[in-house]
Amino acid sequence: MGVFMTDEIKHGDVILEARGITKRYPGLVANDHVDFEIRAGEIHAVLGENGAGKTTLMSILFGLVRPDEGEIYVFGKKVNFRSPLDAIKLGIGMVHQTRKLVQAHTVLENILLGHPNTGLILDFKKAAEDVARLCDRYEYKLNLNDKVWHLSEGEKQMVEILKALYRGARILIMDEPTSSLAPPETKKLLETIQIMTKDELAIVPFITHKLPVVLSVSQRVTVLRRGKVVARLNTHEATEQLLAREMVGREVMFNLERVQVERGKAVLEVQNLSVYDEKGMKAVEDVSFSVHEGEIFGIAGVSGNGQQPLAEALAGLRKAAEGKVLLDGSEITHLSSMERWKKGIGYIPSEQRAVGSIGDFSLVENILMSYYYDDEFCRRGVIDAKKIRARAEALVAEYGVAAPNVDVLAKNLSGGNLQKLILARVLSRQPRLIIANLPTQGLDVGATEFVQNKLLEAKKAGAAILLISEDLDEVLALSDRIAPMYEGRFMDILPGGEAEREIVGALMAGIRQKAAEQ
Amino acid sequence: MNIAGYKIKLEKKSSFSGLEAAVLSILAVVVALFLVGFIFLQAGVDPAKGYAEIFSYAFINSFGVPLTLNRAIFLLLCTFAFILPMRAGLWNIGMAGQLYAGALAAFGVAFAFGARTNPDVPAGIVLPLMILAAMAGGGLMGLIPGLLKGKFNTNEIVVTMMLNFIAFWVTAHMIKEGGPFMGSGGEGEGFKLPASLQPGLFLGMPFTIWFALGLTALLQFVFTKTRIGYEIRAFGASPAAARYAGVDPFKVSVLVFVAGGVIAGLAGYHYFATVPGLFKIPKNYGDFGDLAFYGIICGLISQGNPLASIPLAVLFGGLTSGGRFVQGKLQLGFGIDYAMLGVLMIILVAFQFFFRYRVVFKKEALP
Ligand SMILES: Nc1ncnc2c1ncn2[C@@H]1O[C@H](COP(=O)(O)OP(=O)(O)OP(=O)(O)O)[C@@H](O)[C@H]1O
Ligand SMILES: [Mg+2]
Repeated sequence: MGVFMTDEIKHGDVILEARGITKRYPGLVANDHVDFEIRAGEIHAVLGENGAGKTTLMSILFGLVRPDEGEIYVFGKKVNFRSPLDAIKLGIGMVHQTRKLVQAHTVLENILLGHPNTGLILDFKKAAEDVARLCDRYEYKLNLNDKVWHLSEGEKQMVEILKALYRGARILIMDEPTSSLAPPETKKLLETIQIMTKDELAIVPFITHKLPVVLSVSQRVTVLRRGKVVARLNTHEATEQLLAREMVGREVMFNLERVQVERGKAVLEVQNLSVYDEKGMKAVEDVSFSVHEGEIFGIAGVSGNGQQPLAEALAGLRKAAEGKVLLDGSEITHLSSMERWKKGIGYIPSEQRAVGSIGDFSLVENILMSYYYDDEFCRRGVIDAKKIRARAEALVAEYGVAAPNVDVLAKNLSGGNLQKLILARVLSRQPRLIIANLPTQGLDVGATEFVQNKLLEAKKAGAAILLISEDLDEVLALSDRIAPMYEGRFMDILPGGEAEREIVGALMAGIRQKAAEQ
Repeated sequence: MNIAGYKIKLEKKSSFSGLEAAVLSILAVVVALFLVGFIFLQAGVDPAKGYAEIFSYAFINSFGVPLTLNRAIFLLLCTFAFILPMRAGLWNIGMAGQLYAGALAAFGVAFAFGARTNPDVPAGIVLPLMILAAMAGGGLMGLIPGLLKGKFNTNEIVVTMMLNFIAFWVTAHMIKEGGPFMGSGGEGEGFKLPASLQPGLFLGMPFTIWFALGLTALLQFVFTKTRIGYEIRAFGASPAAARYAGVDPFKVSVLVFVAGGVIAGLAGYHYFATVPGLFKIPKNYGDFGDLAFYGIICGLISQGNPLASIPLAVLFGGLTSGGRFVQGKLQLGFGIDYAMLGVLMIILVAFQFFFRYRVVFKKEALP
C-alpha cells in the first residue's frame, strides 16, 4: 500500500520535516515560520494554547490547508500537497478533532469510503478480512456491520484510526484525540498508540491539552505559542509546570481554591425524572436531586450514561417522560427552551459546533443567540445592532477569545476559543441555574483554569450550577456535592469535600459493592 | 480520468468567499446565455441577432418594456415567496399553486359581488377585498406545507409540488366552460373584471410595483435587523443550534411558508388583475405557474438577498418577454424562454458543483 519501503527506515530516522511553515489568516498569523520534524517510532506531542495554531499546522501537514510559505519533506523528498489525497498516498493519516464519519453507514463502509484504491467493484469480503485483522492487532472489539451512529465516541474514533491505517498510514496525526473520550476509552487509546509505535513504526504526532497524558506517553514535545515554536523538548526533561509555563507564557496554578459559600434555597428541583434518548431507550431513569443557590452539583460519569439526555431535558430540548422539574419552586417540566432561558436557565452544551454555535454566523450574531429575545437588546422586534456589538466586543475581550475582530465567522475560531465564546455568551446572562455540560472540553490549561474560576465566581454570586464532567479531578475539585451517574441512574449523592476519588470512580463504573464495604 | 495524456482530477476546495459566489453566479448566467446561443444556431438564427432582438424588445421597445416590467414584478414577488423559506433552510417549490390560489381567491371576491355579470360593483370595497383575498388564498396554500413541516417534519418539497398540481386543476375547473368563473366568451378563460375593478396605471405601471418595491425594503429590513429575521436565519443556518437558542421550529416553518404564500398570492393578483390586457385568469394561466419557477433561480442566484433579486427579476423578466417575442418574429419552433430556463437550471447546478470542487489538469508522464 505504501509507496515507500518501510524496511529502509530505522527507528529514530526523521521521516517528516516541515521547514518555515507560515500560514496567515486575515488579521493573524496562525503559523509563523514553524519548523517541525517527526521521527520514525516516536510519539510527538504538539502543545499550545487555544488558537496557538496546532490544528492549522497539522492540517497543512495533511494537505487540507496550503501554507503561504514553507516546505514539507516526507522521507527526505520535497512534497507539495494539493489535497489530503496526496498526503494519504504518502502514508499520512489524520484523525480529526471533530468526527468526520457518515452516521448512517456501517463501520466497514466508513472505513472503505474514499479509499484511494477503491475501484468501482469492491471486494468487500477481502476488505472485511483486512480490517478484521487490524482490529485484532489493536484488540478493538468492533462489529464491522454496525451503523456508526450506534457507536460511542471512543468507538467512532477507533473507526477513524482503522480508516487511516487501512489506507496505509505510516504517520498518524491525531487532533485532540482524548478530548471527547471517557477515561477508559482514553486508556485504551493510549495502549493502541503504544502498540503502533512498537510494532509498526507508525508514528503518532499527538496534540493534546491534557498534560499528564502528554507526559505519560510521548517521547518528544513541541510547544507552540501564537503560531511560533517556543520549545522543543524531550519529554523526560519536561514537567507539567514547565510545559504549562511554555504554553501560556506565565505560571499556571494547578490547585483551585474551593470557595465556601452559604448554601441558599433550592433553585432546581428534579423529582423522579425519566427521559428517553433518540433511539427510544430510557436513558435517564428515576433521577431526583436538587441544586441550591451558591452550590456546584457535580455529575460524574463516563459519557453516554445519560448525562446528555438529562442536560437536554433540563434545558427544554428533550421531553421528560416521567417526573417533575421545578425552578425556584414553580414547575417547568413542560416549558420550552425559550421560556427556560427567560426564566434564567443557562445551558452550555457539549457539542460546541453543532449546537452551541452557528458556524456561518459572525461572533456578534453568535453572542446574539442569548440576547435576541431580550427586549433590552431587541426593542419591538428590532435588534439594537450597536448595543449587541458593544456587548460582543466586551465579552470577547473579557474572556480572551482570540479573534481579529467580532465580525469573523465562528467556524474560523479554534476549538478552545469557540468554547470561550459560548461560555461568555451564557454566563453573561447571569443565569440562576447554569447547566455546564463538559465546560472545559478542548480547553488548554490556562483556559481551563479560567473557566473553572468563572464557574466559581458565578457560584459566589449565588448561581446554582449543575456541572457535568467526565474529568474526575475537575468534579472533585469544584463540586459541593457529587452524583456519580451510571446507566441513567445516580449511584449515590456524596458530599464533595469528603468524597474519595476511588469511591466516586467505582460508582461511576457501576460498582456499588465497593462503596458499601468502605 | 485521463484525456489525451492529461490527468483530470477533482479537488475539494477548502474555502470560498462571498465574492467568489457572486462572480460564479454571474458567470453561470453568462455561460447559460452562451449555450442557449447554440440553440439559436441549431434553428438557423445568428445568436447575436437573436439576442439583439430579445434585448431590444425587452428593454427598448415601447411594447416590450411594460411587458418586461410586469413580468419582473411578478418574478420578484415569486422570488420573495421562495426566499423566505429558503433563508430558513426550507424549499418552497409551490409558488405556482400559491399564486393560483391567490388569483382564485381574488376573483372569488369579485364573483361574490356579482362582478361577473354586473359592471357596477362598489370598487372601493371590492378592490381592497380582492387584494386581501389574494393574500389570504396564497397564505392558506402556504400554511399547509408550513404546518406539515412544523408538526410532522413532512418533506416540504413534495407537499408544495403536489399542491401545485391540485391548485392547477382546481383553477382549470373554475374557469372552464360551465365552471363558476367561466368568461362570457366561454373559451376556457375566466370572466373579465369590469372596468371599475381594473386599477389604473401609475407612470405606465400597475400599482403592484409598489408592493414589490415595498416588500424588497421590508424583507431586507426583516432579515438584517429584526428578531424574527434572526430567528429565520439562525434556523436556516443550523436547526439544532437555533432550537438550542430557543427558536421555535414550528413557528418558523409556519411563518415562512405562510408569508411566502401571501406574497405568491399577490403575484397572482398582480398579473391577472392589474396588467392591462388581462384582468382575468387567462387560458394559458399554466404558463405563469411555469414562469414562477424562475423565482427559484433568482432566489438561488441572489442567495436569498432581496435587493440583489431586483436586477435578476428584471433580467429574467426581459429574457422571457423578449424570448417570447423573437420566437414569434423569427418563427422558432420552440419556446426559447423555457429552453433558457432549462439550461440555466442545469448550469447553475453544475456551477454549484465547481463551486465546491476544483478541476485540476495535470500532464501525465507518458510511459
Ligand atoms: N479558516 C480560517 N480563517 C480565519 N482564521 C482561522 C481559520 N482557521 C483558523 N483560524 C485562526 O487561526 C488560529 C489558529 O487556529 P488553530 O485551529 O490552528 O488553533 P489550535 O491551536 O488548534 O487551537 P485549539 O486548541 O483551540 O483547537 C486561531 O486564532 C483561529 O481563529
Ligand atoms: Mg485545534
